[in-house]
Amino acid sequence: MYRFIWLKDLKAAVHTWKGLVWLLVTALIFSAASYLFLTNRELSLLDQTEMLWLLGKVIIGAALLVTVIDASSLITAEFENETIESLLLSPLSLGGLVLGKLLAALTTWLVVYAAAAPYMVVTAAGSRLTGAFLVYVGLFGTLAVLGFTLLVLAVSFFYRSLRNTLTTSLVILLALALPALFSPVLKTSTLARIAGVANPLDSIFAGLDNVLVDYHTGLAANLGFLVPVLVFCVLALGFLMLSVRAFQRRGIAKD
Amino acid sequence: MAGVISARAISKSYGDRKAVDGLDLAVEGGAFFGFLGPNGAGKTTTIRMLTGVLRPDSGTITIDGHDSRDRQHIASVIGVVPESRGFYDWMSGEEYLDFFAALYRIGDRARAVRQLLADVGLADRGGTAIGTYSRGMKQRLGLARALVNSPRVLFLDEPTLGLDPQGQEDVQQLLKRLNEGGVTVFYSSHLLHEVAHLCSVIAVINRGRLAAVGTLAELQRQTDSEDLRDIFMALTND
Amino acid sequence: MRRNLLPLVLVAGILYAQASTPLPLVVSIRSERALSGVAGEYITLEAEVVNVGTQPINSVTTYLSLVDVGARMPVDLEDWSAEKGLFIGTITAGETLPLVWKVHLIRSGDYTASVVAEADGADLPVVSRVTYLKALPKRNLNPGNVLPVALGEPILLVFGFLLLRFWRTRKLRPD
Ligand SMILES: Nc1ncnc2c1ncn2[C@@H]1O[C@H](COP(=O)(O)OP(=O)(O)O)[C@@H](O)[C@H]1O
Ligand SMILES: [Mg+2]
Repeated sequence: MYRFIWLKDLKAAVHTWKGLVWLLVTALIFSAASYLFLTNRELSLLDQTEMLWLLGKVIIGAALLVTVIDASSLITAEFENETIESLLLSPLSLGGLVLGKLLAALTTWLVVYAAAAPYMVVTAAGSRLTGAFLVYVGLFGTLAVLGFTLLVLAVSFFYRSLRNTLTTSLVILLALALPALFSPVLKTSTLARIAGVANPLDSIFAGLDNVLVDYHTGLAANLGFLVPVLVFCVLALGFLMLSVRAFQRRGIAKD
Repeated sequence: MAGVISARAISKSYGDRKAVDGLDLAVEGGAFFGFLGPNGAGKTTTIRMLTGVLRPDSGTITIDGHDSRDRQHIASVIGVVPESRGFYDWMSGEEYLDFFAALYRIGDRARAVRQLLADVGLADRGGTAIGTYSRGMKQRLGLARALVNSPRVLFLDEPTLGLDPQGQEDVQQLLKRLNEGGVTVFYSSHLLHEVAHLCSVIAVINRGRLAAVGTLAELQRQTDSEDLRDIFMALTND
Repeated sequence: MRRNLLPLVLVAGILYAQASTPLPLVVSIRSERALSGVAGEYITLEAEVVNVGTQPINSVTTYLSLVDVGARMPVDLEDWSAEKGLFIGTITAGETLPLVWKVHLIRSGDYTASVVAEADGADLPVVSRVTYLKALPKRNLNPGNVLPVALGEPILLVFGFLLLRFWRTRKLRPD
């Protein structure tokens, strides 16, 4: 069941150009970033490993932005185009619908990751970190995308409109990304540090730093950075289940 | 006698507004049932509850002997042309029906899709993107989707709205054929003349309550008038 | 006079030796005075420890110490070297033992390296002279690698999309 929803949304991404445009946008962001690393005088003074860390941040950041925007329309488009009723009338379960949408979002991430892979390989050349770079950007990125997609889907069932869902999701994403953008400056206060422990994005970027700059490439050495991200995913899943349950109670008509 | 569709004292409110208020309905198997009411009477709300996409605040519904919360069973026996008429515009008509045939676990999908397109008169446009369809063509496609699982009970929420006379005639002929083949039809409309020449039984709903139910002759007797317009006004005036 | 003083001097000497006589050990770094490498690489630091005394020395431990000259901070060696310290055990009189550290240059910068030796019962460790260690930043991002991808991938994608579009319009019949 969920398979057909997944497939439909993948086809929609290709046939409506939506997905293709996003893919091109991310590729251009990666091109711009790696070109800057080569030519910008200050950036090109960085260590290669620090540059990899920056590129890892760019990749995960761009992927999150794209998947959040993309996932925001997965459920809300069915409401706004009034196609949801025909889906709910079919033998498809609500769980199947959500699973299909989730897989569609994760596929978008997979494609963005595949587009990023060549950039990762060429920038990591000669650093002995190519494998670790690919693995950890993949691991951290997948978990982050999973958590945010669950959150976006939960918000979608709540609002049923693209505009509100997109606004709310982007505000959450930016709020969590803000500390990472100003990292060295803000980390000094204890409050910022406590917030940092709970912030999945902070944890991801610290984890990448641990792998790329400090050469701690073993999984055991990075479990501490994975835990906050996993907690975030579990919380988002709980929120989604509540939101779906509330939708089921209210039914298709919104009052 | 429970009938194929049976609703007991169902109610639904949106906030303070009572959209459906203690409605009782019983539809026999094989009937062509007209569900008549002015705009805002509660037709769509009732159909949504009967088809399981909206939970009544109170009351019970059974379709084909199953409680309306048994969604899997109900989905397999009913077909619905709902009020909301969204389509995936980027798909072709064929792709659209194939998608729903897959959701309904239809075996030979290619054959089923071809048959459905022929049934609703879209055979020559099946390969075109839905975005290029006229309103009437979309309506036919919606009807084809409602028939994808060969339903025993068909719900239609104002299915001829926005169709030209030829389109209305086509749809009604198709429904008659299906009814003659044993399909129970639940036909909602705000036009008495449409219901009058199609339906074996007519229920009139007004402000969420049942105003009258019976054959056309019974309604005429009840309101003491022959004229369709007068009957409608008499039953829906408060 | 002198003879009378001798026991006294001896006692004082013994007391002094117990308190702070330097170990008769000499530690020296045998690698060049200034080592350098590119961040991310491994370099080998060779040193030796010699017992210049007349008695064997027990339980000798040597360890490497790195100071970041720029930051004026000792470096946490955990990441830099698998074995920070080397336990030597007993060194017999006159014996010379080689010491080798494999150092991973984690972060670019200027460092000083020194080797310290300690032994049981000695208050003062012995330290080698410092050797300068320069970890050059690795910035050989090879334009020959990066540019083809940075330019090629977007071009390939656009080309792919046009192909897909062509295929789709052919599949969807026009009305
Ligand atoms: N989603 C909704 N939120 C609030 N009120 C609604 C909603 N849907 C319908 N209503 C109200 O409920 C009443 C019945 O509506 P509806 O069932 O759509 O009637 P009909 O289909 O007969 O035109 C109307 O007064 C309508 O305004
Ligand atoms: Mg209606």
